[in-house]
Amino acid sequence: MRRGPIVLLLIAAVLATGGPAPAAEPARSAQAVVAATLDNGLRVLLLEDRRSPIVTVQMWYRVGSRNETRGATGIAHFLEHLMFRGTAKHGPGVFARTVERNGGQDNAFTSQDVTSYYVNLAADRLDLVLELEADRMHNLRLDPKIIASEREVVIEERRTRTEDDPGGALGEEVSATAFRAHPYGQPIIGWTVDLTRVTPEEIGAFYRTYYVPNNALLVAVGDFKADETLAMVKTAFGSIPRGATPPPVLAVEPPQNSERRVTVQRPAQLPIVYLGYPVPNQTSPDAAALEVLSVVLSGGRASRLYRDLVHERQLALEAGGDYSYFSLDPNLFWFWATPLPGQTAETLEKELLAHMERLKREPVSEVELTRAKNQVEASFVFQDDSIHRRAGLLARFELIGGYALKDSYLASIRAVTAADLQRVAGAYFQDEKKNVGILLPKP
Amino acid sequence: MLQRRWTTVCLIAALVLAGVPAPAPAAPIAHREVLPNGIVLLVAERPGVPIVAVRAFMRAGAVFEPPDRAGLANLTGSLLTRGTAKHSGPEIDAAIEFVGGSLEAGAGRDGLTASLFVLKRDLGLGLDLLSEVVLSPTFPEAEVKRKVAQIQAAIKRSEEDPGTVAARALSRLVFGSHPYGTPVEGTIASVGTLTRDDVVAFYRGFVRPDTAVVAVVGDVTVDEARREVLARFGAWPRPAAPAPTGPTEPAAMPPRTEVIPKDLKQATIMLGRPAIRQVDPDYFPLAVASYVLGGGSASRLYARVRDEGGLAYAVYAYVSPGRYGASLVVSAQTRTGEVPKVIDIVRDELGRMAREPVSEDELRLARDYLTGSFPLRLDTTAKVADFIVAIEVQGLGLDYADRYRAAIARVTAADVQRVAGRFLGPDTFSRVVVSATK
Repeated sequence: MRRGPIVLLLIAAVLATGGPAPAAEPARSAQAVVAATLDNGLRVLLLEDRRSPIVTVQMWYRVGSRNETRGATGIAHFLEHLMFRGTAKHGPGVFARTVERNGGQDNAFTSQDVTSYYVNLAADRLDLVLELEADRMHNLRLDPKIIASEREVVIEERRTRTEDDPGGALGEEVSATAFRAHPYGQPIIGWTVDLTRVTPEEIGAFYRTYYVPNNALLVAVGDFKADETLAMVKTAFGSIPRGATPPPVLAVEPPQNSERRVTVQRPAQLPIVYLGYPVPNQTSPDAAALEVLSVVLSGGRASRLYRDLVHERQLALEAGGDYSYFSLDPNLFWFWATPLPGQTAETLEKELLAHMERLKREPVSEVELTRAKNQVEASFVFQDDSIHRRAGLLARFELIGGYALKDSYLASIRAVTAADLQRVAGAYFQDEKKNVGILLPKP
Repeated sequence: MLQRRWTTVCLIAALVLAGVPAPAPAAPIAHREVLPNGIVLLVAERPGVPIVAVRAFMRAGAVFEPPDRAGLANLTGSLLTRGTAKHSGPEIDAAIEFVGGSLEAGAGRDGLTASLFVLKRDLGLGLDLLSEVVLSPTFPEAEVKRKVAQIQAAIKRSEEDPGTVAARALSRLVFGSHPYGTPVEGTIASVGTLTRDDVVAFYRGFVRPDTAVVAVVGDVTVDEARREVLARFGAWPRPAAPAPTGPTEPAAMPPRTEVIPKDLKQATIMLGRPAIRQVDPDYFPLAVASYVLGGGSASRLYARVRDEGGLAYAVYAYVSPGRYGASLVVSAQTRTGEVPKVIDIVRDELGRMAREPVSEDELRLARDYLTGSFPLRLDTTAKVADFIVAIEVQGLGLDYADRYRAAIARVTAADVQRVAGRFLGPDTFSRVVVSATK
């Protein structure tokens, strides 16, 4: 991300910030979407939402840290920063000033799988945003002097998020431990040595490879007429030539056969425990069950981990679990806990494992299962309140195979049974599949 | 990747207005009426999505704590949902989460807020629970102990976060013995001394209908909202004694500097000084000034510290107005060795605001942004709810959006220069640096 303090990781955050996915009465959401693919391959999704005179325009590029090679980590995120530093036509600062002059907000984030840019602003300035986005898709100026100063900014960002943040530092270590072949083991923000080294030429090549219309998705939601907007999109982007198809990510993480463990000692106030288990993504028939499982475990104060570890037995300041349904390649199911003072990381690790054993041993109650499903369903409706979130969810489903999956998602969640949860817990939460990270505060 | 979930600390009322904008529709943003027991009812109809957000705000924030009971409002707020005459805390959690809704409560500087978010079809259930936690919390002893331990642990962990450490220290330097100088959550030691009796006394003294604001926003009509709120809050008796008034504006503190050693790669720099609330006509030129200085990615500090210097990822300036005082803050994070350079740039840019008028372009950009960003600041049900509560609590009036926009549009370069002379003198700022020492 370019400014506010939160970066990168957002793909998994749909669940983290208020429950799972998207949208409302299925009828309304999916059917109203106008979808098109331009001749140059740009995918376009438009959804009219006339409640306020505003619009959100989101450009999603199918490139993230997943597409990076060893020795050049962090380049996708670095490039995200540079996308705000000007083109031949619109010099440095023009993008930000244009958006602000029109009362708008803009920002971007880079995840393992995607790089996403958004502008929210008054609906009557939609044409302006489209022009700016088209311009920087094709005409970015990668001036070595600007790259040099932005490099320092990115390294500062890394200091904030990783080096001076105990949770960030531990997460990086666990990911690097869990993935040996697949680039998910590399930090999104990149290793410092790579950030220091990567050259303007490499950044330029990366830009030309991945920032092509046939590797991008444009989603707009707001107060417009879809047919008029589609015409504007064609005008703005139509002349950008299709690029070569970007190279596929070929790496496949081999099965894990034994427990892996990493301990980090550093200045911190409280210990932290992370557990990561390799799990399949949404292409698996087990995905819906894993999604429901994460809500049963940590969707609110009535969920298992909070109720038991935080509330009843007062062992943890916080505890939870999270599944990455939308991940493009198989990723990790994460668990975490922060012990209360007087409790140890060791204790919390054992307690988290005990919860997994219980999930394998006995089915979750009907009440727990129904509550989790209701939470998922309600969150779909809540998402519809915000055009920004509506657009984000359309994009996430489109990126995993098609925006219409949004509707079958709910059906798959409804179909999950207690036996499914028991089965997936047994299949994936195995000792030899475990990646453990322990943060011990340095005295 | 992983995100740690943070416990919510709330500040709701003050934040919405921090540095913000206004304007909007000619129609009033909400319906307002005063119920017989003194509750101010605000209703904003927002049809289209079948959801409703409700806020119950009481003037029971940290400013009302006895000085030796820091953290009492926060503890009281966090206990509202932990047990009522009818339900235990876990029963409340289970009931609201079964319908996919949420019910949270907590205190900030100025007030204590209980917030409900539900599907429209569950509004009755949600309001039943909301009224229970506001009107009949029981503060079970075991829950008090549990919450004290959690808050102490959260304070301990927050010592890891240099931004939090710096902000706490800066508040102390800027506000001194004024309640805004004390952290809302208290300290590990102060929270450790709080008892259930303290909580009960604070609740009885300050959670009362004649300082309450109930806002209902979403797929609901005014009549329906009035009926449902009256049915649950109508019999809440207004105490005979007048409601307590809050503290007066803080006394001016001489600027001070504090360095807090922490073993970190990056230093956090915060400068701050007292400012003014929205009721002061100079607030509007000050909002423009702080925006030009460090409001966005087109600001002077962003350009010099970040874009040109590559010195920081985050650098910004903002005005933070509360009901009982206000501050102006400039903040940046940079590598340890560059602290003097960043401070020099910040001081230079502060001084320049008074030395020379802002350019026509900068002025126009700030005005356009501050007046034009309003629709986006009110584009969700929750944002509308927070905003209407904030303007009511701060006494700004439901037409504040329009007045704000008009006032910002009138600000001239000379106004900006004049308020910069009044508020941006580099030597008038206190300063905190959290940093490794070498």
